[in-house]
Amino acid sequence: MDASSPLELLIGEVEQINPAILLAEEFMRRNAEVLLNAEDINRAEEILHIGRTEIDVINRQIAALVRSSASPSANLPIGF
Amino acid sequence: MSVAQGLTISYPWPFGERLSKSIEYLSYKTRSHNAIAAQDSVAAILSEQQKYALYKEMFPKEWSRSRASLYRRGHYEKYSERVNELFQLINDQCFPLLEFAYDDPESEFENFAIPPLNVDLCCEEIWFDNLRLSYAAGLIFYFPDEAWDFLNEKFKVSRSDFPEIHSDPDPNVWDRKNGSLFGELLRLIDHSTGNPWLDSNYCQTADWYTWDRETIEELTKEFRAANETFEKLTRLDEMIEADPKKMLRALIEFWNKGNLPKGMKCHEQK
Repeated sequence: MDASSPLELLIGEVEQINPAILLAEEFMRRNAEVLLNAEDINRAEEILHIGRTEIDVINRQIAALVRSSASPSANLPIGF
Repeated sequence: MSVAQGLTISYPWPFGERLSKSIEYLSYKTRSHNAIAAQDSVAAILSEQQKYALYKEMFPKEWSRSRASLYRRGHYEKYSERVNELFQLINDQCFPLLEFAYDDPESEFENFAIPPLNVDLCCEEIWFDNLRLSYAAGLIFYFPDEAWDFLNEKFKVSRSDFPEIHSDPDPNVWDRKNGSLFGELLRLIDHSTGNPWLDSNYCQTADWYTWDRETIEELTKEFRAANETFEKLTRLDEMIEADPKKMLRALIEFWNKGNLPKGMKCHEQK
């Protein structure tokens, strides 16, 4: 098992933002009269799929966390 | 050049539309700015864009003339004024879109249902006085007691004056090739015309339609065909009114044996 602490694992993660948030910002700023072309729509649908998958993963993780019983940690964070 | 002229800035759209766009954007920014809200926003924009494309394709003149906002919310508040205009155009020029339980401004139209045009024989009480005469006559095969009561009251005819009605119709009754008015009437009552406006009723789960040109055009065509079916019955109504005994006898003969009396084909109407 990896000996890294949860904090170290988090620090090691790649920073990212759900792509739907970026796309929503882009779409809200564009001129609605210029209709989306097929390429835009495909890109949007792909991003919606990725975004939805990410939301589902997070929801499953939250559900698993809620189900987990509390257990004492061997590493006490400083200050506690 | 005056100071005022010097401050005039030329934009491709009117000020009101730019203001509406800004308000729409600001209200988006003030909503919960998380991934779920973003998903909903992108899906809503895609939905509106799909409808704008349909509007432009189906009603190009109206689109170029339109001043309805692409941003400000319309009567159906989930959609812009321009999309609302499309709903109204389809309702006015194609088929009754807005008459089917869409009196709530919060209604969603991602898929839409159509109102049945036929009489709901499943659960609704049948008001014979409100039916076309031919339709009421055709109900002798489905609701004989009520139908004969109605005919007796109207024409003083009794079930015993006519041949026994077979429990099942002759297979020829359903043959569309014979072009029979009686056949059209019975298919209409049986809800087996193949036309979605005539075969649906409020008791069954509604079919849901999508926003694409093919679907809208097909529903428009079927709506016109449904109205033509009812118009064709006018001739039959007149014939029954003129000689109820003869026509009821012919109708029963058609049901029992599939025999078609002269003058009862659709193309013979005129």
